[in-house]
Amino acid sequence: MQGGSSGIGYGLKYQARCISDVKADTDYTSFLTGTLSLKEENEVHLLRLSSGGSELICEGLFSHPNEIWDLASCPFDQRIFSTVFSTGESFGAAIWQIPELYGQLNSPQLERIASLDSHVGKINCVLWWPSGRCDKLISMDEQSIYLWSLDCSKKSAEVLSKDSAGMLHSLSGGAWNPHDVNSVAATGESSVQFWDLRTKKKVNSIERAHVRNVDYNPKREHILVTAEDESGIHVWDLRKAKIPVQELPGHTHWTWAVRCNPEYDGLILSAGTDSAVNLWYASASSSDDKISESSVESPRQRVNLLLNSYTDYEDSVYGLAWSSREPWIFASLSYDGRVVIESVKPFLPRR
Amino acid sequence: MATEAAPMDEKAKRMRDLLSSFYTPDPSISNNASSISTSFDNINSTSFDADQYMDLMIKKSNLEVLLQRHVQMAAEIKNLDTDLQMLVYENYNKFISATDTIKRMKSNIFGMEGNMDQLLQKIMSVQSRSDGVNTSLFEKREHIEKLHRTRNLLRKVQFIYDLPARLQKCIKSEAYGDAVRFYIGAMPILKVYGDTSFQDCRRASEEAIEIIIKNLQTKLFSDSESIQARAEAAVLLKQLNVPVDSLKAKLLEKLEQALDGLQIKPEEASKLAEYNDSSKDEETNDQGPAKIHEDAVRGFSEAMRAYREIFPDSEERLFKLARALTTMHFENMELYIRKRVSAAQFLGIFRIIWEDVVLMDEVLPEAALSDLSAEAAQVTLKQFVARTFSHLQQDISDTLLKFDINQKEVLKVVLEASRKAVLQGTADIFQGFRQLLDENTVIFVKMKDLLIGWIQKGFQDFFRSLEAHFLVLSGKTSSSNETEGLIEGKSSDKIQAGLILVLAQLSVFIEQKVIPRITEEIAASFSGGSSQAFENGPAFIPGELCRVFHAASEKLLQHYIDTRTQKISVVLRKRFKTPNWVKHKEPREVHMFVDMFLQELEEVGKEVKQILPQGTFRKHKRTDSNGSNTTTSSRSNTLHNDKMNRSNSQRARSQLFETHLAKLFKQKVEIFTKVEFTQESVVTTTVKLCLKSLQEYVRLQTFNRSGFQQIQLDIQYLKAPLKETVEDEAAIDFLLDEVIVAASERCLDVIPLEPPILDKLIQAKLAKSKEHNNNTVSS
Repeated sequence: MQGGSSGIGYGLKYQARCISDVKADTDYTSFLTGTLSLKEENEVHLLRLSSGGSELICEGLFSHPNEIWDLASCPFDQRIFSTVFSTGESFGAAIWQIPELYGQLNSPQLERIASLDSHVGKINCVLWWPSGRCDKLISMDEQSIYLWSLDCSKKSAEVLSKDSAGMLHSLSGGAWNPHDVNSVAATGESSVQFWDLRTKKKVNSIERAHVRNVDYNPKREHILVTAEDESGIHVWDLRKAKIPVQELPGHTHWTWAVRCNPEYDGLILSAGTDSAVNLWYASASSSDDKISESSVESPRQRVNLLLNSYTDYEDSVYGLAWSSREPWIFASLSYDGRVVIESVKPFLPRR
Repeated sequence: MATEAAPMDEKAKRMRDLLSSFYTPDPSISNNASSISTSFDNINSTSFDADQYMDLMIKKSNLEVLLQRHVQMAAEIKNLDTDLQMLVYENYNKFISATDTIKRMKSNIFGMEGNMDQLLQKIMSVQSRSDGVNTSLFEKREHIEKLHRTRNLLRKVQFIYDLPARLQKCIKSEAYGDAVRFYIGAMPILKVYGDTSFQDCRRASEEAIEIIIKNLQTKLFSDSESIQARAEAAVLLKQLNVPVDSLKAKLLEKLEQALDGLQIKPEEASKLAEYNDSSKDEETNDQGPAKIHEDAVRGFSEAMRAYREIFPDSEERLFKLARALTTMHFENMELYIRKRVSAAQFLGIFRIIWEDVVLMDEVLPEAALSDLSAEAAQVTLKQFVARTFSHLQQDISDTLLKFDINQKEVLKVVLEASRKAVLQGTADIFQGFRQLLDENTVIFVKMKDLLIGWIQKGFQDFFRSLEAHFLVLSGKTSSSNETEGLIEGKSSDKIQAGLILVLAQLSVFIEQKVIPRITEEIAASFSGGSSQAFENGPAFIPGELCRVFHAASEKLLQHYIDTRTQKISVVLRKRFKTPNWVKHKEPREVHMFVDMFLQELEEVGKEVKQILPQGTFRKHKRTDSNGSNTTTSSRSNTLHNDKMNRSNSQRARSQLFETHLAKLFKQKVEIFTKVEFTQESVVTTTVKLCLKSLQEYVRLQTFNRSGFQQIQLDIQYLKAPLKETVEDEAAIDFLLDEVIVAASERCLDVIPLEPPILDKLIQAKLAKSKEHNNNTVSS
């Protein structure tokens, strides 16, 4: 299914929504992706970018019992990852380990380290402790946030705490603040909420309806990017949460996912249901205190903020991940199961 | 040799040369030049060598020529001889007459000396007699002179004795000038002899002078007296050595107080301006406040003139006063234009002020009042221009917000009104500015270039800020840091989608109609502003403004669609979030969200119809999307029909494969085309976006059989009305199918409804909605 301009393609057998960068893999640039098929046997693919960077190789293919709605790789162990799955009627989440020596086995089975069974409800996502070797996890459903402690050796997970956001908020996803590990952002029906894990209380919120996705800027504290259904992408400064620092037009239809580059400040990637991935540059200066100036100038600059639009997709793009090993590379996954790796090197800002 | 044409000339010339050589003492000097030029052949030169000449002649000429030459020469020689004889005779004659004259002179002089002696004797006797007369009359003359001197002295004494009485008389007749003159005349004498002989006299006259001084002072301070008289009084006082400085200080203070009366207060200014205009029409109306004001200022300047003459050292102070008045005028003017002021009113006030300045400038040319006022006028004028534009923007925004959007058909009215406001406003501005430009006051003529610059820049800035204002009004940009107040209150409320549409269309109007018009106007009457006025920012650039408004109109239209789809999105979200689709019950009727969806669309249609123009080719529009589209839709239709027949889950996978294959082979249907400013385009885009949203919502759910059937039913029902409203049928078909496909993909047990049941349910729904409509119509 090779196609497109510069992108390297890889086809999954079924439809799929999620792709994750394998952060702990320091030797290769690899991604994990899982399929979403209601009726077929679902698979998890471990993809590796060949050393030349010209080919995407399937390193491992594992069957997964249910359709996968969310997948996240463990930041400190490349063989561990989490999935959120659905049986059609109910949702569940589990931590998996890729078996050793899977290359030699014919039909390797994933090893289930732990099931987050005590979390019932419509789970949206599982978040790993943002960096470093820490065995904490968060799982989120529409109403509550669970904090787990994972013990890989004992293969068990315990609920440490449970925060309830209440029925009305219907949380849809979130992000763990990499600058402050006690803070978690959760997207809800009418706002983005910030939870303090110690006090288990909502500390702050951005009143913004229909936020689909949220990501912290890993290079810059207090900066948060949100993607919204109709009104595009907004960059926020959490200290001044009333007004967005910057506004990007987003996509023709919904903006589904948004990701800040782990290395290059201001580089933002967004995926939309208009079958496109857009690369933005949100100028760093605007996040300073010169908001008034930049917002005056922004109407004219806004046009130039879009660095590139990758439109070589057949369906809505839901999955999006930067590579942390080679931060100029990103993987995107459209609903028809097509993984495309692109390099943004030509668009990198000069340093 | 000599040609035949000029032998005579040559001859005459030679003759003259010969004669002149005869008379001049040294012939070599005069003939030097010619002798060199005519070396050999010139017979007349001193260096003439006859032998050489002969040789040359013989060599050059034949016999005939020589003979001819010979004859010619002989004739010449004869001629010369006679000429010489004549000369000698003439000279001789002159000699003879000269000797005769000398002889006559000699005889005349003889006998003159005797007469001379006689004359000398007579003169001597005349002198001795005159001396005798002189000595005899000397004594008498001395006496007369002495008498005369005594008489003069006596007259002076008489004057001094009369002085008090005379002064009294002067006081009575108020002829202070004379009195002071008399007193000063008598001063030296009084000073010398005042203590002795004229003691009484001095005291009396001093008393009189006291009175005079007092009178003069009162006169100086009395306002009823004319300035002229007061000035005179001051001059007199000064002559009397009365200390005037304190007086001066007092007077100037008074003048300062008078300034207050001259203020043009903002609240009175409009009245003043009106009267100024009306008094022009009818000259008789002299009692208008403008006239009064003018008189007051005239009086003020007269006073200044007088004071200046009286107290030459007080100039500085007067300058200060005049400047103060000028700056006060302009400050008041600034206050005045803070309110809404027409250009005519502005000009009226301006003229008054300028007249005042001119009046004062006449009196105090050194105060540089015109420069000062020119500067101040520039500032004021600039402010006026800026204010005019901000008023216009306010007008437009007021017009936009004035109406209650919720009323029926009001959008059209709003659009018309705001269009009119823009056109009328700009026309008014032009008219006003033209008045300003036509004004012939010196100061305006000077500022013309600047003014043009400001106007151009004003328009540029105006449209920029208007665009920003539109965006703020539409709620696209938050008005957090600037322009709070009225707009802020509105934007925090829900912004009416209709208003956004109006703004979009208004932007188009501005881009296409207003800006070209303004460009014309500017080219016609406001071109050629000095480039210095806007070195920093560019002046009026219509191209950029067009671009800005073009972008704004597109942005606003997009925003309109966004807000509309957002509304529908909320409906859809509710629809899909609420039920448990996995445990859905059998479909009994078309779900009501369809009604809401259609209702919203209808509203969009209504709004759009009021404001946007119709697209040109309504139903044919779809042909310009790819031809393969129709096959695509039929393709997915057949696919869809196929699907109806299959219930086997085993085949679902091949089905998926088929969809993939289908997607591979068809061209991407362009769902997201560019929005145009037509009714159809906007509605179509809205529908497309909503259907896409619908598809995305469906993909997020998992359905059981009944759930799927419900979706199928709803979509089937939507098909007909949507196709009616939308121009791009192919895309709609495609999107509707996509929804069904998405639902079937997310369905655990795909068994579609049988077509008859589908039909029946749809018919039931149609009947019901018809009945509902009838009810609402009848009620």
